[in-house]
Amino acid sequence: MTSNGTGAVTTSTGGAAPVLSMEAITKAFGGNVANDHIDFDLRRGEVHGLLGENGAGKSTLMKILYGLYKADSGRILLNGEPASINNPSAAVAAGIGMVHQHFMLVPTLTVAENVVLGAEPSRGVLLDHDGAQRAVAALSERYGLKVDPAARVGDLSVGLQQRVEVLKALYRDARILVLDEPTAVLTPQETEDLFGVLRGFVDEGLSIILITHKLGELLGVSDRITVIRDGKVIDTVQAAQTDERQLATLMVGREVVLQVERSPADAGDVRLDARGLDVLDVTGKPAVKGIDLQVRGGEILAVAGVDGNGQVELAEALAGIRPVVSGTVQVDGQDVTALDAGARSDRGLAYIPEDRGGKGLVSEFTLAENFVLKRYDQAPYATRGWLRGSAISRYASERIAAFDVRPANAQATASSLSGGNQQKAIVARELDGDPAVLVANQPTRGVDVGAIEFIHKQLLAQRDRGAAILMISLELDEIHQLADRIVVLCDGRIVGEVAAEDATDEQLGLWMAGRTGEIEQ
Amino acid sequence: MAQVRAIGRALIFPVIAVLLAFAVGALVIVATGNNVLAAYGALLSGGFGSLQSLGRTIVNATPLIFTGLAVAVPFRAGLFNIGGEGQLFIGAITGVAVGLLMPGPGPVVIVAAIVAAGLGGWLWGAIPGLLKVFGAHEVITTIMLNFVAINLAYWLARNPLVGEGLVPGTDFVPDPVRIMRLGGGLGAAHYGFVLGIVAAIVAYLLIWRTTKGYEIRAVGLAPGAARYAGMSVAANGFLAIALGGMFAGFGGGLEALGTFGKVSVPFVSNLGFNGIGVALLGRNHPAGVVIGALFFGGLSAGAQQMQFATGVPLDLSDVLLAIVLLFVTATKLVELLIGRRARGLEAGTKLEGGLAG
Repeated sequence: MTSNGTGAVTTSTGGAAPVLSMEAITKAFGGNVANDHIDFDLRRGEVHGLLGENGAGKSTLMKILYGLYKADSGRILLNGEPASINNPSAAVAAGIGMVHQHFMLVPTLTVAENVVLGAEPSRGVLLDHDGAQRAVAALSERYGLKVDPAARVGDLSVGLQQRVEVLKALYRDARILVLDEPTAVLTPQETEDLFGVLRGFVDEGLSIILITHKLGELLGVSDRITVIRDGKVIDTVQAAQTDERQLATLMVGREVVLQVERSPADAGDVRLDARGLDVLDVTGKPAVKGIDLQVRGGEILAVAGVDGNGQVELAEALAGIRPVVSGTVQVDGQDVTALDAGARSDRGLAYIPEDRGGKGLVSEFTLAENFVLKRYDQAPYATRGWLRGSAISRYASERIAAFDVRPANAQATASSLSGGNQQKAIVARELDGDPAVLVANQPTRGVDVGAIEFIHKQLLAQRDRGAAILMISLELDEIHQLADRIVVLCDGRIVGEVAAEDATDEQLGLWMAGRTGEIEQ
Repeated sequence: MAQVRAIGRALIFPVIAVLLAFAVGALVIVATGNNVLAAYGALLSGGFGSLQSLGRTIVNATPLIFTGLAVAVPFRAGLFNIGGEGQLFIGAITGVAVGLLMPGPGPVVIVAAIVAAGLGGWLWGAIPGLLKVFGAHEVITTIMLNFVAINLAYWLARNPLVGEGLVPGTDFVPDPVRIMRLGGGLGAAHYGFVLGIVAAIVAYLLIWRTTKGYEIRAVGLAPGAARYAGMSVAANGFLAIALGGMFAGFGGGLEALGTFGKVSVPFVSNLGFNGIGVALLGRNHPAGVVIGALFFGGLSAGAQQMQFATGVPLDLSDVLLAIVLLFVTATKLVELLIGRRARGLEAGTKLEGGLAG
């Protein structure tokens, strides 16, 4: 079997031409070549994984497929026929459905209304509500996606909302389904459910492209995996003939250590002590409800949980950005509850925020300006109110070198860096000064494998130095690797606590879903 | 080298906007039955063609530099100062008041008057700055305060400071207190222009080279990150608007003491609002503001010549300015017309978040 499908190729699933063939796709944005002569094909009934680091070009490729971008050169063939896909409507008409990473749903409408939005069945001028519901129920039944058509989307869990997104594609007779990072927001059980559903789709004759950076999951569900790096296809491999290590090496271009070395914890005194924390979210509803936690020096406490259960609010309350309704926070025995972020930073509390573009960095500032975000008014970066450009640049260069931030240009605008490098820059800034306590909110979210390895090593180094680290993470793999103790956050409360060596994915998954018994239907 | 390219990139948009506007203006000229080359020729020579024209351009441009800075500086903190007009009036009447009432040698009084004008503008900007801390949106407060300022200035000019001439308003300030003319055939152009350049340089240094400027920019670009770094969004916002008021106040004082020598009733109009256009054209950067002010100034100086020589109505210059501003801000429209992506080119004209709302 050839891995580049051009023309008639006999495949193990039978049939002639691949259902989709992208040939020599090239796309450049200014000087940046996002896709460089990429060949990609999809066979009927196949689950084909698309793997690559952030900025590798996989999203660009799929956006070209979906008509959001136009390729500079190359062509797309559907069932052997050249196709011209100029906008998403054309893509949908051609049978391509896309389930985006960030859902595009209207929370106040029902499931049925969301699914038919844009292609509504009508009776004269009126929306045929019953017809919509019946259609959605039929789809739901046929494809094994159980969801109530009359339910309000805003009331559904994230896993169910994702089902609605998939139903949208199926309603439009998608024969090719593209899923962009679908498991980012799911619990382990929901991920299993999703993959079961995908296998069901394949039986119905659909072909699936799965975009992800999670190596382990791909191996479990794909037939073939295409690895993209720096805009080029590196290789297309059979899932059954490869393993995580090989995939990681292909993705990054060098040997990547997936399991960082971790020596046993040597925990000392409690350095971070939070009691009875109550914190509100942006809409004023309670997001953190009476949380107690203590972290000792030399220990990493991981806070697991599905996104949206109070992680952001907890992290910001500890960092001093968000006020607490009640409760206290102590660093090394000193009460810092009344202090703002700047003052807590002076007391040795470092914070790596979740959404690096918004809170940790000023996107339009240069790297150098961002590095001095917390010390711009101190010597030697400023004297008597005047910024000292050379001192700032020198500091930035030193930090950039120490943390291998690329490109190594202190004058580059922060927004021009890839997500992973932005995060490395923030970590470089926060870890300077050997903090006593480090609060890290999803420090490697959306970051490529190479940078993840680096950041993990840095966190462990700080832990071995005696810092108390509280790490919020959505990735169980990361938690297993780094944590000494694990607590699970659900609906603003800590619903479970376990030592790392005793933790199982099943138990964590159940806690994350808020169940002590059966998994939700 | 990267600096030069960055400046080049920043200039592309206003230049394209100007060219497109002149293209549209050409259509209007043809529609009025005139010769495009003759009309634009007169426009250019009337603005920049002789020392005299240049002098008129400078006279027009001087206050616009200040009112342009009055918009550009607060913009860096994410705020819209629409109160330049009122702040300018307060500066004008304050400067004239000091000029009329303070005894002492000319140079001393001039300096005191200019400082007072800036102070007056600062205070007038501090009011909406303070109200912003309590949640009042600065667009509304600054606009409303324009009316208060203009009427207050006129009342002062007609009552306590009223003069004895036929024209309503104050007396002329004594000659030693008038701002000196530049001379050299430049007509009424005075050293206020030089002070305008100085003000632009000061604004640049403040925003990009001081720690305060760093805070103002951080607060304007990413209030979340700024708060995390311990900066006060409220305090920096207040400072930014007050500074804007100060620049407009200086502009008013220099216009009153330099160009007119008094505050008459009516005084000037639309200098503050045209400052918004100047700031937009100049991408809210001090250097751009100076160029924009000269452009605006040259256009109005040239319009008279154009009407005189070809019969194309004066208003065409206003139309041209309006179209230029339209194109500068409607980046997508220009993209469509020139078929290029404008990524990054709209820097300095868009506000994402900031303190708005």
